[in-house]
Amino acid sequence: MKVNDSNRSRKTLATLAVICGVLQVALAPNIGIANGRANFAFVLAVIVALRYGGRISILTGFGAGLFFDLTSSGPIGLMALELTVMSFLLGSEERDKLSEDPGASIQLTIIASVVVAILYNLSMMLVGQSVSVIDALFLRALPTALLSCIGFAPFMYFLSRGSSGPRLHGRGGHSSMGGGHFSTKGL
Amino acid sequence: MDLNSGMPGSLKRGGQGSNTRLLAILCAICVVLFTLSCREGDTGALHSVRGVVQTVTSPVRYVGAALTTPFEGLGNVFSNLTADQQTLSDLKAENEQLQAENAQLSESEQTATRLQGLLQLKSTYNLQSTAARIISGSSDSWTSSVTIDKGSSSGLAVGMPVTDSSGVIGQISECGLTTATVRLITDENSGVSAMVQSSRAQGQLVGSADGTLKLTLIKTDQQVNVGDLIVTSGLGGVYPKGLPLGKVTNVEKSTGAMYYDVTVSAFTSTESFEEVLVITSLSEDQQATTDDIAEADSQETSSSASTTSTTTDAATDSATTSGQ
Repeated sequence: MKVNDSNRSRKTLATLAVICGVLQVALAPNIGIANGRANFAFVLAVIVALRYGGRISILTGFGAGLFFDLTSSGPIGLMALELTVMSFLLGSEERDKLSEDPGASIQLTIIASVVVAILYNLSMMLVGQSVSVIDALFLRALPTALLSCIGFAPFMYFLSRGSSGPRLHGRGGHSSMGGGHFSTKGL
Repeated sequence: MDLNSGMPGSLKRGGQGSNTRLLAILCAICVVLFTLSCREGDTGALHSVRGVVQTVTSPVRYVGAALTTPFEGLGNVFSNLTADQQTLSDLKAENEQLQAENAQLSESEQTATRLQGLLQLKSTYNLQSTAARIISGSSDSWTSSVTIDKGSSSGLAVGMPVTDSSGVIGQISECGLTTATVRLITDENSGVSAMVQSSRAQGQLVGSADGTLKLTLIKTDQQVNVGDLIVTSGLGGVYPKGLPLGKVTNVEKSTGAMYYDVTVSAFTSTESFEEVLVITSLSEDQQATTDDIAEADSQETSSSASTTSTTTDAATDSATTSGQ
């Protein structure tokens, strides 16, 4: 089955990008646990990777990471690199994992958020920002990963509903995909 | 099934080889950007771009700060939930004491209002400053910083110290056209030349990842006690001399150690998103005198051999911006 509504998919992508961008700038700096801050650039990248995959997810990962780098005070290019690679890896399968297999999508997101946060903080250590691995992991990386996963949850809920409602258990069949994969309903 | 058939033509999923090539190109760009941003100074092209982005996004930051102000204390919920009975009792007692003090202070406030007119003739520190407002906290987990609503268009520049009504909060680490990023004194990479107000023992106040402040380089033959006030020493020429920084909450001396381990509680808090003063220039009397420098030098000399590098740091306010 083909989904031929390119305008709708464009609109969905743009909506996601704007929402995540606004949340990254407006919400993330103001709500945190320990030194952790939610990473909505990661949320955008992982959603696009799991939902669309392929070339668009790689470009989105790069763009989202670059936006994160430019709106934060860390080195420019580090998060862009991580999200680009993550998007490539998560988006390599040619299917909409977000709707077809929400359970696996959640697992992948949790793993990816932890890996991205740890790598980012360890990289910051390598450029001389800190000497304590404990601080980097427990006061920065893990709270960031936790908040990013929390930030991902509402997107997951709305996007996995698609045409057949939330299916957080088990794999969805192809027949249930309908034409709702690019729906902005609920956003 | 072709999920990407709805995507714009140029963004359709290509072959695996095409994606790998794209990945390689973007990774190379990222590495170049990362290298450049680490090597270039604060006035480099990438930092300029960042300044533009932060300027463009500053209205959104305003809105975010306004909307999230009621939830600022959310991070304390977990520690509050697990507070033991002793802590709660102490807090109740402290609350009663504060209420009594509050009544006294209300009376004092009226007196202060009358005296304010006189004080305006010459403020305590005679600071050349620009008022600004904190509009956002740190957007990443790595730095303790805040964003203020003034930038280079208001005459601000990297390195300028920032204070609020309680004392020093940090210094500008990045400066855009209309916004600036202030590295807080609690940041792990922050360092402020400081001294114990009562004994004049000089050291360096450094931040840490858990938000506490440590006063380093105070030798064990010098005087420092719990409750002592810590102020800026003026050495290094960044911060005016005598601005309050915090209060000593713990002093430890390890066996055989040359320096005390001093923990300091900062006077300032950025949680309430309030106004700050950016000190734009220092007059001569606000800088460390030659006597102060000589005193610091003598402090260094007496412990010279093994601590040459660290004591040199003590004489210089940190303006670390590496990797930023």
